[in-house]
Amino acid sequence: MANVTIDNVVKRYGSVQVMHGVNVDIEDGEFVVLVGPSGCGKSTLLRMLAGLEEISAGAISIGDRVVNDIPPKERDIAMVFQSYALYPHKTVADNIGFPLKMAKRPKAEIDEKVDKAAAVLDLTPYLARYPKELSGGQRQRVAMGRAIVRDPQVFLFDEPLSNLDAKLRVTMRVEIKELHQRLGTTIVYVTHDQIEAMTMADKIVVMRDGRVEQIGSPLDLYDNPNNVFVAGFIGSPSMNFVHGMVGMKDGQKRFVSDGGTVLPLPETDAQEGQQVIYGIRPEHITVGDGGVPMNVVVVEPTGSETQIFAKSSGDLIDALVKDRIFARPGSEIGFVIDPVNVHLFDRKTEERI
Amino acid sequence: MQSNKLGWILLAPTLVILFFFGVLPFIYVVYVSFHSWNPFAANPDMVFNWADNFRRIVFDEEFLNSVGVTVMFVFFAVLSELIVGYFLAQAFMKEFPGKAIFRTIHTLPLIMAPIIVGSVWKLMTTPSIGIIPHYLDEWFGISMNIGTSAPTAFATIVLMDVWHWTPLVTLTLIAALVSLPPDPFEQAQIDGANKRQIFWHITLPMIAPAVVATVFIRLMDALRTVDEVWMLTGGGPGSATRFVGVHIFKEVFPKTNYGYGSTISVIVLYLTIVACWLLYVTMLAPRTKKKG
Repeated sequence: MANVTIDNVVKRYGSVQVMHGVNVDIEDGEFVVLVGPSGCGKSTLLRMLAGLEEISAGAISIGDRVVNDIPPKERDIAMVFQSYALYPHKTVADNIGFPLKMAKRPKAEIDEKVDKAAAVLDLTPYLARYPKELSGGQRQRVAMGRAIVRDPQVFLFDEPLSNLDAKLRVTMRVEIKELHQRLGTTIVYVTHDQIEAMTMADKIVVMRDGRVEQIGSPLDLYDNPNNVFVAGFIGSPSMNFVHGMVGMKDGQKRFVSDGGTVLPLPETDAQEGQQVIYGIRPEHITVGDGGVPMNVVVVEPTGSETQIFAKSSGDLIDALVKDRIFARPGSEIGFVIDPVNVHLFDRKTEERI
Repeated sequence: MQSNKLGWILLAPTLVILFFFGVLPFIYVVYVSFHSWNPFAANPDMVFNWADNFRRIVFDEEFLNSVGVTVMFVFFAVLSELIVGYFLAQAFMKEFPGKAIFRTIHTLPLIMAPIIVGSVWKLMTTPSIGIIPHYLDEWFGISMNIGTSAPTAFATIVLMDVWHWTPLVTLTLIAALVSLPPDPFEQAQIDGANKRQIFWHITLPMIAPAVVATVFIRLMDALRTVDEVWMLTGGGPGSATRFVGVHIFKEVFPKTNYGYGSTISVIVLYLTIVACWLLYVTMLAPRTKKKG
């Protein structure tokens, strides 16, 4: 087990710079999720950690050792690929035991560790099979088995659940989290799925275009996003954004959208007349009397909750409520917004105010 | 049914050609192999002589010697082609300046007819006019004469075959290497395998089907090599390079022993099938059996 330090890491392909000075500190035993849209550099960063990509500038340390020039096989890491990267010509047992065999461990020790890993992952009946005879979830577990037999300093996961169906993904999510709790090894996990990030991580690193946008615990990112990008990326359904400015009404600051919708504001340093982006999460809106009057556009009942898309002066706002609401499109409805849950961002910089 | 009928109609020309130029001559050769037939002998008629030809072949030292020489030739040539071909294929997987030109030049031997390859090598190796003996003598003081030294003649023929056929091996291995997924190789690096271990544990098993297919093709081709050898050494000196193909040729044409020549052909065909079967059983069958 070890801590990992990513210090001002830069990646260039020829003259194109794709990573612009990334800094991340990972504590020993922490479960860190790198999350961001496609092309944000999260997989590249993971591959640099693994030693599969060169580091153009900056330094990566595992434990107290700078690993920039150390080949993958000497970094004492284990990695699970999105494709699982199983060896197609080897049985499950040989796949799991491969890292130990490469380390020239005695046969008895390999067998013992493989059996133990297989038992943990429910793979014992499949040890003699070949990868092509396994289901997606089983292959996924073989890849994990191959990682855990090594007892490495750090586990790296590159979108390991992306190829599984939705139901299996939830199961495997729980299994990976359980595994982390049992082994206590540092994990760096890459995903584009913010739900995976929210549910599994101790710490989330949100990336965009080769830069770190924000680092924090899942709830920290949910409650206090630094900017519009993080606010929109974390949370499902994503946050409503309304463009407008700060105005005054009855001696109190109010938000007035470009279309003219007036929405309540919390205590804020924003000045009257300042151009802002108003953010409110759908689940923080309730329906009731005295709310902002809106016209219903679409109602989507899911059983446990109801999602209502409604419009006011051209601004579309989406609310997610626990009650069953039967509103006809076109009818009027009141959206009650508690100012405490409102996020304000500067319109130009998109940073939090 | 309609499409089935159409399928047979489309296949018909191939089947007809195959029947007249493949199946019929084969049956005829088998038929002739049970006869004694030399049109220029005292008795020019075809005489059925049971399995006399086959009995004779077992004790025919010239034939057994030619089989031995052929097996040695096939072993050294195909093995060298595989090794050289693999390294060339690996080299062509990397980017380097002039790669396209070099790859084109490297495949040129493939488009040459064997008889031309034989002539070119004859020109290059003939003592006193050939470039190879000339420089071997000038630089290293070695005198090379494929007309008198059996090992030299044998080695030259192996070298000529390697020169001629390695590009084929390279091309098939490039195709196999290109189609490999990159992930298992990166995974193996992370799993702590060094280059040698990656080759034996990952690369070789994953390209094994292509390697075996290539060996099949080269084995069958090498076993029936005639023209290049005929051109370069004529089977000599002595019988040092008298491969079975050359042996059959000498038996059938200068000696006009049609019956006995046919018998040797049948036996060589049988040996080729056995060799391929052995290769298949030892290299591919265990894998498919375990998987099934």
